[in-house]
Amino acid sequence: MKNEFLKNWDTQLKKGLLPFYVLSALESKEYYGYELIQGLKAEFGIDVTESTIYPLLIRLMKEDLLTYKWVEQSSGIPRKYYTISEDGKIILDAMKTDLKNVLNKI
Amino acid sequence: MKPIQFISGSCQRVYQDYIDRCKRIIHILSDQDREDCLMEINSYVHEYMQDHQQDDEMNSLLNILDRLGPPETTLKEIVASKKIDQAVKTYHIKYLLQALILNLRNGVTYILLFLLTILVLIFPVLIVGKIIWPQQIGLWIGGGSFVFGMHDPENSASHELLGNYFIPVVLLIMITLYFLIIQLLKIVKSKKS
Repeated sequence: MKNEFLKNWDTQLKKGLLPFYVLSALESKEYYGYELIQGLKAEFGIDVTESTIYPLLIRLMKEDLLTYKWVEQSSGIPRKYYTISEDGKIILDAMKTDLKNVLNKI
Repeated sequence: MKPIQFISGSCQRVYQDYIDRCKRIIHILSDQDREDCLMEINSYVHEYMQDHQQDDEMNSLLNILDRLGPPETTLKEIVASKKIDQAVKTYHIKYLLQALILNLRNGVTYILLFLLTILVLIFPVLIVGKIIWPQQIGLWIGGGSFVFGMHDPENSASHELLGNYFIPVVLLIMITLYFLIIQLLKIVKSKKS
C-alpha cells in the first residue's frame, strides 16, 4: 500500500518535472522528438511516450520556449528538430532556482 | 507528407488506417498545421521503425501506435489549442466557433465566450428584423420597460429611442462585442498555458 502511494507520488513528481527535463535536455543540444524520448531516458531515467512528449513540445513552443526546424533526411521523411529559445533559457534558469529553493528547505 | 512504405501489406493497412484517423481529427486545422501535424506523427512512426528494424514489423508498428495513443486523444489538445490560434489570428467567426466548441470542457470561461458568440450571431437577425418590421424592432424605453428587439408599441407606454440609428448601433455593438470576445480568448489562452 505504502509502496503504491510512493510509486504514484513518484509518477506525479516526474510528470510535473517533465517540462523542466525537456528544457534541460534541449539546453545542451537540439533533438528531434523520438531522439528526445531516448535522451530523457538516458539522461534523467524517465520513460515518456510519444503521446506525452508531442503535446508537451507543442505547448512549450506556444509559450515561445522552444523553436523548431524541419530537416530533410535521405529517407524523404524529415525530422523536426527542437531547440531551446532565449525565453526558454530564462525560464529554465528560473526553474532551477525554484528547485534549488525547494530542495534547500528539505 | 511522404507515407512510410512497409514490407507487409497488413502493416501498410494498419499504418494507413492510423494516418486516416489522424487526418479526420485534424481536418479542421489550417493546411499548414495539418501538414505539420501529420509530418510529425509520421516522423515518430518512421524513427521508431528504423530503431526496431530487427524486430517483427507488425509488432513494432503496433508498439509505436500504442505509444502514440489514439489520435482522438493525443491530438485533441493540439487541435483545440491550434484552433484558438487560428481564431485569434484570423478573426474568422467559423474558426472562433470551432475553437470555443473544442474547448467547452476546458473551463467556464469558454462556455461564457461561446454564449457571447451566439449573442453576436443573433444581432444580424435583429438587423434583418428591423428592415422587415421597422415599427416593431428597436430600443424601447418607457412605461417601466426596457426592450432591445421586438416590441408591440400599441400595447405599452414605451417609445422607440434609436429610430434609423438602430441598425448602425446594432452593428457597432456587434463588432465591439466580437473584438472583445477575441481579446478575452487571447487572455484566457495565455493564462491557461
